[in-house]
Amino acid sequence: MQEIEISANNFERCLKCDICTRVCPMMAANPYYPGPKQAGPDGERYRLKDPAFYDLTLKFCLNCKRCEVACPSGVKVGDIIQMARLKYGRQSHPVRDFTLANTDLVGTLATVAAPAVNAMVRTAPVKALMHSLFGVDSRRTFPEYGRKKFVDMFDPESQKGFDRYVSYFHGCYVNYNFPRLGLDLVKVINALGYGVHLLEKEKCCGVAKISNGFGASARHQAEINASSIRKAVAVGEVVLSTSSTCVFTMRDEYEHLLGMDMSDVRGSLMLATKWLYSMMESGKVRPVFRKDYHRKVVYHTPCHMNKLGWSVFSTGLLRMIPGIELIVPDQRCCGIAGTFGFKKENYDYSQKIGSGLFDILKSCNADVVATDCETCKWQIEMSAGLEVMNPVSILAEALDIS
Amino acid sequence: MKFDVVIIGGGLAGLTAGVELCRAGVGCAAVAEGLSIHNAPMKEYVDAGGVLLSGDSVVRGEWEGNRLLRVFTRNLENTPLEAGNFIISTGKFFSLGLRSDMNGIYEPVFDCDVLYDADRENWVNPDFWGVQPFETFGVRTDAEGRVYVKGVPSVNLYAAGEILAGKVDIVKSALEVCRKLK
Repeated sequence: MQEIEISANNFERCLKCDICTRVCPMMAANPYYPGPKQAGPDGERYRLKDPAFYDLTLKFCLNCKRCEVACPSGVKVGDIIQMARLKYGRQSHPVRDFTLANTDLVGTLATVAAPAVNAMVRTAPVKALMHSLFGVDSRRTFPEYGRKKFVDMFDPESQKGFDRYVSYFHGCYVNYNFPRLGLDLVKVINALGYGVHLLEKEKCCGVAKISNGFGASARHQAEINASSIRKAVAVGEVVLSTSSTCVFTMRDEYEHLLGMDMSDVRGSLMLATKWLYSMMESGKVRPVFRKDYHRKVVYHTPCHMNKLGWSVFSTGLLRMIPGIELIVPDQRCCGIAGTFGFKKENYDYSQKIGSGLFDILKSCNADVVATDCETCKWQIEMSAGLEVMNPVSILAEALDIS
Repeated sequence: MKFDVVIIGGGLAGLTAGVELCRAGVGCAAVAEGLSIHNAPMKEYVDAGGVLLSGDSVVRGEWEGNRLLRVFTRNLENTPLEAGNFIISTGKFFSLGLRSDMNGIYEPVFDCDVLYDADRENWVNPDFWGVQPFETFGVRTDAEGRVYVKGVPSVNLYAAGEILAGKVDIVKSALEVCRKLK
């Protein structure tokens, strides 16, 4: 009998139904992008014959994975495109792409002089310089760097004396930009009777390197993270993250794009809201909430959250908080796609893709937007002018800790 | 995760039922994977307050006798969806609601009883443009619309849409199930 499903990404299962093209956010905004079907399974047949068929417009793929969520045949359309980019793509702007991809290096340097860096990247001359020299769009507001790294603010001494622990993968955003989210998570976990451990060694999850074409260096970081995660899981701890993209990258992209086997720890690696929801729903922990807490919240589902299928955990968690009125509108892409929306050749597409979402969120008239992705937060805060918080921070605010 | 009704399959039948039930105040979750060409009902369903698990798929159910207690999905891993009632609306062959092999035709999630011609020769009509018998195969249901599993009707698993045997009116079959669940 004929051998079926020869490839790991199921590209030969594509029925050419084009449902992926219909759901692709880039397709609706950019006539130069060939769309997921043509860029993915169709193009793959040609690239297998000759890499010269690699189409440079594949750089427009947001890696949002909406094509994969929609595919009725299980074709890993997004993975096919990402693999092709890693194999055949070239950086269009090597210095900029290196800078955007090396979040650990840039974050470490920037936090040292955070106040100066934060002020500088907001001035018109610096923005103009970055636009023309580095190809970072001058209209983009840069996320602020923290004055102190999360790892320096986290006090391991304060975590002694618990009899149960979870491990926390804080990620670059919490470490360099917004340590408060990490501190909020520690506060919540402690309030539920668990202590927090950091991983023995943590690197950037690697998503920025993968999307900017630095596969080998991403794999190097991934190996370090995987080994630390294994050590935490070996002593019976789950590993939590507050970023949907970090956790998605480590659970799925390590395996599909970097060729690593994560199956032994995949089930123990999850978004903090998933763990919190399960603990609270099963009654294993019974948090006490403030009685005077009232907020109208609209939840935005990040694309990678949509792929994980876990937004029900974050919305379920928010619904458990008394005093919260939650709106969950029809979900769509915000357009930033990590470092993509920072690049000057992508900026207009990124805003065009997100415009529909900005209107929806604004029309909800909520007090705050909740979302599990830091780059969605940057985009929505900048372009819709709304306050955005991680559900964990909202939970931390609503808990009665006293 | 607890709901009043969990809908397995988010096509036209599942979402029609979902919209109808949500508007009547019944709390629904719909697990929708596959060709979701029904954009309008999908938006209506979410706007009516339905929980949509898109790109997810039910992998197994847990039963107590003939009563389905909970279902597990690929994405939610060890967090099950629990409900008083369930609707299966996963369609026929193309949407993988029914599978076939050389030995027979089966329903892959719960192994519901399927009505089909035992003689494989009779599955297809040699007249390509004629009515194809395999298009009328589908799950066996009782007078209330509940599926049979291993010869016994289930207490709370209803079928709607193309997965049903015979000539099916998708929307009508969904609304009939809703009447029982409202």
